[in-house]
Amino acid sequence: MSTGYDAIEDQFLKPEKGRRTILRMVKDILYWRRDSAVFTTSVVITAIAGVLYPLALGLAVNSILSRNVGSLTIYSVLFFLIYFVQFFSNRTMSLSSTKVAQGVIKRMRDRAFYNLQKVPLEFFSKVKAGYLISRIENDSESISDFLTYQLPQVISGVTTIIIAAGIMFYLDTTLALYSLLVMPILGLFTLVIQTKVRANYLRTRRAIAAITGNLAETIAAIRTVKAFNAESQIEDRFKLLNSENFDANMKATRLSSSYSSAIRVIEAVGIVLVIYEGSIALLNGQISLGILVSFIAYVQQFFNPIVQLSQLYNTYQNSMVGASRIYSIIDSSPEKDSGNVDIQKFTTSIVGRGMRVTYDGSVALDRVTVEIDKGECVAIVGRTGAGKTTLTNVILKFKYPDEGDIAIDLKALNTIDTKAYRKLIVPVLQEPFLFNGSIFDNIEYSKKGITKDEVQSFINNYGMSEIFRTLPNGLDSPVGEMGRNLSEGQRQAVSILRAFVRNPDIIIMDEATAQIDSKSEKNIITAMRNYAKNGTLILISHRFSLITLSDRIIVLEKGNIVQEGKLEVLANREGVFKDLYKRSVSAYVHVTGGS
Amino acid sequence: MAVESSGSRGKRVSLLGVLEPVLFARPYLKKSGLSFSIVIAAGIISNFTLLLVPVFIGDAVSAVEYGIYSSIPRIALLIVLAYSISAAATFSLNYGGQYISQTYAYNLRKDFVSHLVRKRFLFFETQTSGDLLSRGSMDIEATRNFNLNMFTSLFPTVFLIIEAFILLFIISPFFSLLLALAVPVLIFLGIVSSRRQRPIWRKIRDTYGKLGETLQENIVGQRVVRGLASEEKEVDKYAAMTKQYYDENYEVVKVRVTFNNLMPLTVAAVTSAIIGIGGYLDLISKASVGGLVAAVTIFAMLTNPVSFLGRMIVFSENSRAAIGRIQEITASGGEEDVEPSDQSLQPGPLVFDHVKFSRGENVILRDVTFRAHPGEFIGITGKTGAGKSSLVNLITRYYDADTGTISLGQKNTKDIPLSILRSRISIVPQEITLLSGTIRENILFGMDVSDERIKEAARIASISDFIDSLPQKYETMIGERGITLSGGQRQRIAIARAVLRNPLILILDDATSSVDPDTEINIFNNLKEYMKNTIIIMISLRASALSFADKVLLLEEGELREDLPGEEGGNVNRI
Repeated sequence: MSTGYDAIEDQFLKPEKGRRTILRMVKDILYWRRDSAVFTTSVVITAIAGVLYPLALGLAVNSILSRNVGSLTIYSVLFFLIYFVQFFSNRTMSLSSTKVAQGVIKRMRDRAFYNLQKVPLEFFSKVKAGYLISRIENDSESISDFLTYQLPQVISGVTTIIIAAGIMFYLDTTLALYSLLVMPILGLFTLVIQTKVRANYLRTRRAIAAITGNLAETIAAIRTVKAFNAESQIEDRFKLLNSENFDANMKATRLSSSYSSAIRVIEAVGIVLVIYEGSIALLNGQISLGILVSFIAYVQQFFNPIVQLSQLYNTYQNSMVGASRIYSIIDSSPEKDSGNVDIQKFTTSIVGRGMRVTYDGSVALDRVTVEIDKGECVAIVGRTGAGKTTLTNVILKFKYPDEGDIAIDLKALNTIDTKAYRKLIVPVLQEPFLFNGSIFDNIEYSKKGITKDEVQSFINNYGMSEIFRTLPNGLDSPVGEMGRNLSEGQRQAVSILRAFVRNPDIIIMDEATAQIDSKSEKNIITAMRNYAKNGTLILISHRFSLITLSDRIIVLEKGNIVQEGKLEVLANREGVFKDLYKRSVSAYVHVTGGS
Repeated sequence: MAVESSGSRGKRVSLLGVLEPVLFARPYLKKSGLSFSIVIAAGIISNFTLLLVPVFIGDAVSAVEYGIYSSIPRIALLIVLAYSISAAATFSLNYGGQYISQTYAYNLRKDFVSHLVRKRFLFFETQTSGDLLSRGSMDIEATRNFNLNMFTSLFPTVFLIIEAFILLFIISPFFSLLLALAVPVLIFLGIVSSRRQRPIWRKIRDTYGKLGETLQENIVGQRVVRGLASEEKEVDKYAAMTKQYYDENYEVVKVRVTFNNLMPLTVAAVTSAIIGIGGYLDLISKASVGGLVAAVTIFAMLTNPVSFLGRMIVFSENSRAAIGRIQEITASGGEEDVEPSDQSLQPGPLVFDHVKFSRGENVILRDVTFRAHPGEFIGITGKTGAGKSSLVNLITRYYDADTGTISLGQKNTKDIPLSILRSRISIVPQEITLLSGTIRENILFGMDVSDERIKEAARIASISDFIDSLPQKYETMIGERGITLSGGQRQRIAIARAVLRNPLILILDDATSSVDPDTEINIFNNLKEYMKNTIIIMISLRASALSFADKVLLLEEGELREDLPGEEGGNVNRI
């Protein structure tokens, strides 16, 4: 369980590792040319100012020793001025780093979101929603943290080290070499221990990801958990991951805390070396006391950035992993180009020939040929898994067949502009997804500018008023997250309305009336019949009542068309259709006979 | 309730408000008294020894100044010693701080999950799942992070300032006076900064939440978005929100930069005063500069921790907001008692006696009375939105009736422990959730029974042939990470799961809606044959399914009426 909750997605998305992510990140940062220029300048100024103050201190000490009140005044004012400059440069640095960081993640989020609207729909069956949300929401936050807080530290750290070393060598070469004597030890020590630190760190990341994953699943399955009284089992499962996370973190801390403590001892050795050598140099008259004081301060200044940089590795790694994952979402190949052939009206027919569709090797449609003429009402029936939904996906241009072709009015579907095509054909889907908002918001989503009265008249015309009667606020009733405040049937009714208000040339209903009671359904069917007089209707349904609407029935079995024809013909012929609807056929005869 | 009280507490004492996360953490750190003391001691020692170093350096400078080189080795040794002690103390500080923060997070998470799974059904209907998740992950992490920084940064900085004051006093009372003047300024800046930032952080968090919700809706509703060709509209909507997020983050940083940088500037001003005035005094008194160097170095050591205090304000703000959100879960209330009990439940009839149930203003069930006996197959039908699901949810007590009683085996369900009640009732809901795991795990769902019984349950649910056709059979991974199952297959697995428990009552809430008619017939025949001592209650709208029921009840206008036996000619066809 604890081994990489996101492993499956990462295998699919293949986020790039290493240099290319960094280069891309740099490119994204430089996109904000002005801000990043201001940022870099201000960081460097801050760092330079920081390096100058030990020098000012040393010079002040020298002027005290030389009993020079004038230069003491100058240097103590200079000392404050350095900090004053730092105040402004720090301020500019924070403002510009926030602009850069927020700008970078805004663009990343926008681009990732944009691409999600373009990827083939199968993408969403391979990559969990939770994964995508956590990448685009949380990972970009860690990138922003890194850019806002840590990147300035990196740049100023490197600048500090370079300039401090420069000044030290300028002041006194021998003493500078002595001060830097401990650096190789520090470097080597850091290198050796960091590989272990990294491994530990990855473990903690996996552990916390497992916790989040488990929690997400528990929340999603809460109804089932309650139904089966599995609360304590869920707790036990969670407790295990919780302990693993605790252990992983403590192990990581043990090592990283030991590291920073060891660094302190090395620092002490560095300072002692400088005092020793410095006092000898002072005795020989090579340096002044002021310079020795500056040197001691520089050695201390040297260590801070190095310790900081080594600690930054975790956050750096964290944000780079996040960046590579977001990039992989941005890069996921979009659907084949939609084509640009315009289509205004559906005039003759939709024809698919020899269409074959496979999902991960299993065949969903096996060389199917269909023709749907304008004005027809075609029902597609078959057992679960026969390929009905796949066929509608192909007709809806959600999916291109692997073999064969499909065309509308003799124009190949893949050359047609998707946007124009969607104006002709509207789906009413199996799972009626609603957006959080009111019922009216959801219908307006489908047709901008529609008024409540217009919606109400659609409801009346289609005889659906009964379905919404129990809602206290009518069209203004909030539907809740994913429409949870409404019953399944109400959700489906909204979803059907959403299609009707668009007055499309073709409607595809995929089992959309499964949860609606027979009376409401009858009203809908009547309305659909009116619609079908001028429009084209493609129905997928188990429900016999809907099938009676059709002019023609296509029966699918294991990805093949096994029967095709009018209801009266199929009802009396041995075959899959009759097997499926034995009961319904007799019920149907009974009801129609009785009324 | 919990949020309000924490909010008002925050307003009352704004300085101590920073400590609110500590008060919140207390119950989760009950046994951590020892580590707490160690960390505090380590913080004091680590800083004190570190602050001694400038004093020693000052001594060294003075020694060199007067040419007393013989004392250098002693001072060098003292410096190394001070650093070593400081290093050991720092280790204890970091490790102990992490230990406390992780213990805190461990206990809080445990408490969070334990409260969460016991919340009543209604609770989940008012919360979005993304929001609950971010409370359990990001919010807990934010408070943990603050607690960690509190122990490893905030407390040590406070000690650092106190100890610096003492050392400076020893070096020169004048220097310590300057520090004493700086401290109130630092506190004042901290309070103003935190007050100004708070409302903006609130906005940022809200926007962040909305970003997530928009994203989730878009992903889950992708087919609708595409089907209605709304991609551009969605992209624009999202871009407007990310823009808002950008603006709000810039707004907060504008406040932050001024105040946070004034803190180190204050320290710098004092340091400059020490160099200037202190230097002048040394100059005229011809005193050693060692003390001056020590004082300046001590102040230089204060700059970084003091700058970090500014960031602590951000952490504290995030943490306080997070606490309010976590408390909505961990505060008791709205929870069910699902603890195991050794009472047993005797088979017997299920009786609804004048049950009334409403949601807010909305009366769902007006007056429902019916009776079902073991072995009976009851069909319940009625219009969409008539309250059929609410009715069965009353049996498992996901909701409680307003008036009237529901009894099972002559016992009022309110007197039966929930764990007993629910373990003897199996419900197959409209929406099936399968956990990521194998088919076997999903059918077992915590039960421990033989393979034979699992297979039998699968046979009854007419899913065994399908499972056997899979290469890994019952070990096949399903759920979000495994193979994708069709709606009908998911429903049948859920039925197998319900059947396996051999329940007193089996509730099928439109549980075969996606199953093809052939298979549906098989399932019903199997249920009738194998579940002879079970009360089966089926909600359905379809005559074909209802025709299997011994008795069909019609739910209309909040009342239940007995219908003709579920053959084709009944009233069923009227609805």
